[in-house]
Amino acid sequence: MNHTNVTLRVNEVDYPISISTERNLSGVLRETIGLTGTKEGCDDCECGACMVLLDGQPINSCSYLAVQAEGCAITTVEGLADGDELHALQRNILEAGGVQCGFCTPGMLMSARALLDRTPDPTDEEIRIGLSGNLCRCTGYARIIDAVRTTAVELSN
Amino acid sequence: MQTFVRADGPDKVTGSGRYVADLSLTGMLHAKFLYAGLAHGRIQNLNVEPARNLPGVLSVLTAADVPDIRYSPVIPDRTLFAKDVVRFEGEILAAVAATTPAIAAAAIELIEVDIDPLPVVNDIEAALKGDCLLVHPDWEGYDVSGDTVRDGNVASFSSIEKGDVEAGMRQADVTVTSRYVADASHAAPIEPRGIVAQWEGEKVTIWTSSQVPYDARAGVCETLGLPSNRVRIIVPHLGGGFGGKCGFHFEAHIAALAKATKRPVKLVFSREEEFLAPDRRREGMVVEITTGLTNDGDILARQAWVGIDNGAYVADAAFFPQLAAMHVGGPYKVPAIKIDAQLIYTNHQPSGSVRAPTAPQACWALESHTDELAAAVDMDPINFRLRNVVRTGDEGIAGQIYEEIGLDRCLQLATDSIGSPTLADDEAIGVAVGWWPSFAAPAGAYAKMQDDGSVQIITGAQECGTGAVMTLRDIAADELGIDVTDIQLVYQDTAAAPTGPGATGSQTLLNHGRAVESASRQIADQLRELAADELEAAASDIVLGDGKAFVTGSPAMSVPIADLAATAAGGDLLLSSASAPMPDWPTVSAQCVGDQEMAAWLAPQFSCHAVRVRLDADTGVARVVEVHTAHDSGTILNPVGALGQVEGGVMMGIGQALSEGTYYDENGRQTNPALLEYKLQTMADAPPITTQFVEINTPNAGPRGSKGLAEAPNVATAAAISNALAKLVGGPLRQLPMTPERVWEAATEIRGRR
Amino acid sequence: MSFLRANTADEAVQLLAEGARPIAGGTDLVVGARQGKAPLPQNLVAIDRIAELGVIEATESHIRIGSGVTHAQLMVDPLIVDRLTGVADAAALVGSPATRNVGTVGGNIMNGSPAMDTGAPLMALGAVAELRSIEGTREVALTDLWCGPGRTTARPDELCTALLIPSPRDQIGSAYVRLEYRRAMEIAVVGAAACMALDAGVIVSIRLALTAVAPTIQEVTGLDVLIGERADDKSFAAIAELARDQAQPISDVRASDHYRRHTVGVMAQRAGHAAASRANGDLITVPVNRALGIGAAS
Repeated sequence: MNHTNVTLRVNEVDYPISISTERNLSGVLRETIGLTGTKEGCDDCECGACMVLLDGQPINSCSYLAVQAEGCAITTVEGLADGDELHALQRNILEAGGVQCGFCTPGMLMSARALLDRTPDPTDEEIRIGLSGNLCRCTGYARIIDAVRTTAVELSN
Repeated sequence: MQTFVRADGPDKVTGSGRYVADLSLTGMLHAKFLYAGLAHGRIQNLNVEPARNLPGVLSVLTAADVPDIRYSPVIPDRTLFAKDVVRFEGEILAAVAATTPAIAAAAIELIEVDIDPLPVVNDIEAALKGDCLLVHPDWEGYDVSGDTVRDGNVASFSSIEKGDVEAGMRQADVTVTSRYVADASHAAPIEPRGIVAQWEGEKVTIWTSSQVPYDARAGVCETLGLPSNRVRIIVPHLGGGFGGKCGFHFEAHIAALAKATKRPVKLVFSREEEFLAPDRRREGMVVEITTGLTNDGDILARQAWVGIDNGAYVADAAFFPQLAAMHVGGPYKVPAIKIDAQLIYTNHQPSGSVRAPTAPQACWALESHTDELAAAVDMDPINFRLRNVVRTGDEGIAGQIYEEIGLDRCLQLATDSIGSPTLADDEAIGVAVGWWPSFAAPAGAYAKMQDDGSVQIITGAQECGTGAVMTLRDIAADELGIDVTDIQLVYQDTAAAPTGPGATGSQTLLNHGRAVESASRQIADQLRELAADELEAAASDIVLGDGKAFVTGSPAMSVPIADLAATAAGGDLLLSSASAPMPDWPTVSAQCVGDQEMAAWLAPQFSCHAVRVRLDADTGVARVVEVHTAHDSGTILNPVGALGQVEGGVMMGIGQALSEGTYYDENGRQTNPALLEYKLQTMADAPPITTQFVEINTPNAGPRGSKGLAEAPNVATAAAISNALAKLVGGPLRQLPMTPERVWEAATEIRGRR
Repeated sequence: MSFLRANTADEAVQLLAEGARPIAGGTDLVVGARQGKAPLPQNLVAIDRIAELGVIEATESHIRIGSGVTHAQLMVDPLIVDRLTGVADAAALVGSPATRNVGTVGGNIMNGSPAMDTGAPLMALGAVAELRSIEGTREVALTDLWCGPGRTTARPDELCTALLIPSPRDQIGSAYVRLEYRRAMEIAVVGAAACMALDAGVIVSIRLALTAVAPTIQEVTGLDVLIGERADDKSFAAIAELARDQAQPISDVRASDHYRRHTVGVMAQRAGHAAASRANGDLITVPVNRALGIGAAS
């Protein structure tokens, strides 16, 4: 298998790596770069646990070639907090009770972050559609929606 | 101060929390399984040599390489690897360990396998016919424990019988007979399961995504012939279970590969494997039910048959018939009742305890039937229920007399909450009630207060996401009068903690909670003694609170608990251990053949769900617009966590009602083992859910009068949706899930009859 | 295996001529490979950063949608929403926000799935695919492009560079409606797109295409009988009837053939209705499914 040398920029850090072309981004983030916060719940864009941001846009990293991400700014859940200071979304999802098993949480947070960057004052329907690519089996979603709404208000003040 | 922000929350929102798939050990190999791929067949040839010869492959195991042991709780009917016969498509023939997942997968492809197909037992009614071939021809030879009644393809039979049903039916003004069929479904946690096993000398450590570490350990010990002290199970963070990760699954396969290769070995399931291989599918079910009632709407008698699709192996399902019988009988006053329930072998994936096993399907059937009963005597379905549900002091279907219960209040609260909104022509409201037992099981806890006044609780409880384990901190903090953030949990490690049932049967708070309460109370007593010396007061007058011990009525006379802890650290250490005392078990008067101890319910939980549903009649697509619930789960200890359980249970119930069904082709293979075709509800589908708790401080239950809660919310939602849809299409829906196509077909058929 | 990135369409077609295969968002390609449906091509050329493919522009005669335009762009682009509204409807329904971000209209079209969402509205709007190779550029009507599930008449060395849609005249409306079992993350069970021009409430022109009821996206014929008729319930019922008659649905895990045949009629009727409303100047926000469907926000 041919390896390609690429440099992936993840959470504002450059990682020079050598990977084979067919490897998916989630696998490279998790196994090669060592950021396991991004989860894999399916193989086919159906659960959203692997959601990361590519230049600020959410993508399913399980179904995206890692080599194709070179030159983009990749943001994973590990890049969401500012040092030890949790991002408002992280804090609010905890306080709202929007985290149970936590497996969908990283992907959910990345979708929420992208939504609020794009739509700072979303309606509930915009939240529902914006995060509809992230399946959660635990919460029934209500508390996650609350957390996104609370964060939107908090960030706009 | 109580806080309901989870102790494990920061790990989970920052990505620092490790789940099994995130673990990696030096020298670690990767495992893959070879599955049967067909539902029933006789193995003619299995040649793994080509796989063994592939560079990078370190081990290939088959039945020949592990002890020849049949396992399973109650009915030991399966082996780790298929021998001679395969009985479902996800049965494992061989396991490979290789240096990379890709090489392991390539090795699987190289294995030569030749299986002669056998006729497939593809539905339960066919399985019961006299000429049907037996899924287990040797069933009589299995070494079964307990009072399990079996016969051929019937793996377990139970009945509940009370009063004179024939007389009741004769006296009835009206009898209504219904038949309902529910498809199988899946737990579908978002985390596919993973296992890592590593041997050091004679001992193996297994990191696994299990809800029940002690059961997992017992399974490894049973199948590999090891004593408990040589197997350690550690569960890192667990990405949901919903029962799907109960029981013993693949830990022994991976431990055997690790032993053979002398390397750590890792298995991570694909989503497809997660659908096909575990023995924890939610069972398909057929319910035939007849109820006799008076014109005034009093139920006189009920007779029912329940057939449950067990699949190929029994796993933990032996008790399902009796549990299903209770749900088909329901939380109603029924003077005469006879329910027969059969757990039936087929060549499907095995069934097992998925969140409130048997209940959503059986409740859906019973509560749909209940609306038919109300209609038959021209009564409002809510009034009909209010007339017939069990209340405090009433006798249940199996003859149990209920202490204080709140079902009638649940019914009132949920229906008041949804009220009488103006409904569009395409909308209707449906209501259903449900119930669920609490389960008592042995559980223990250790507690130790450290010299800084913080406390470590060491518990065998397993956090599967519900937050129940997290709530154990609040119980300890409350007993000890210290801040909850000063309580640390050590959990999910069989080497550290005393045994416990794990995250199964909504038992965490009920059992582990009582153990933690008791262990904490012992340390609190020690603190009071120390404070009594310090403050020159009687120990019985010492109150613990706000991090201080003070004399009751004289808060100025106090000493910081941390100071007492420091004192104790130089002498008598603050250590304790406790088991949860077993509660008194209620008694029943009904006759129960094949009794599995499921007719007497400790601290039963009750619920009522009311839903507003909108139906697109041209397509049969239904949407749930709003949900109002009321639950009696005793005292609520963690309100945020409790609401989260109800909301998640409701959402899962909506999926069960509308979009989650497992389908089989004519060869007994699943046709939709993928998340695109097995449709969980998305955030876009999520309706607003309001919840009220009828808080009854329940004696003989969990700590502070609490009962279980994780499963109860998953019982009544599908039934409520069914009753709304029945109003919209003009008659009951007979199949679950009530997919758009089925709803449209039912509506078309009902229109055609008119 | 090799991976190269093309910066221009010329570079891309040169690499295609040398045997490479294009990858844009990879949503079909990578998922297909991971599911074992088809391995990834040996040599890949990434076309997702070719600026010229990401452009939507109006010429005098056409609206030109670059093949690299993503569904997320399509669903909000003012020109598409205003003039090719049915295409915006379809783009807004594809998968999830993440799939819409990376999935492109070119990928959707060239994947050739009969369940693709953008195919039916593009066909109803008379779209032509612009295919380019080192030998030159040719235009192929969508009706001639698809020849079976997952198959097109394009040669392997041809790159779809754009979709060309004849500029719709005024008083034209289009809509795409899809049967979906849940409100997101869906694939079409069936779908229908209609494009209708009206003159004082009378149908001047009408085209209809159906999703997931035939081996390819299928155009409905025989609609000429409606020209000169009023765009009313009777006409919409006739549209439904024609759709049902011409559909060739199969039974699979998503639906039976008879349910598909019934519901494609319902979708056709609704698409016709929505297209006519839009032709009349009524505002129905994108996508129709969420604006009028029973899944609308409550």
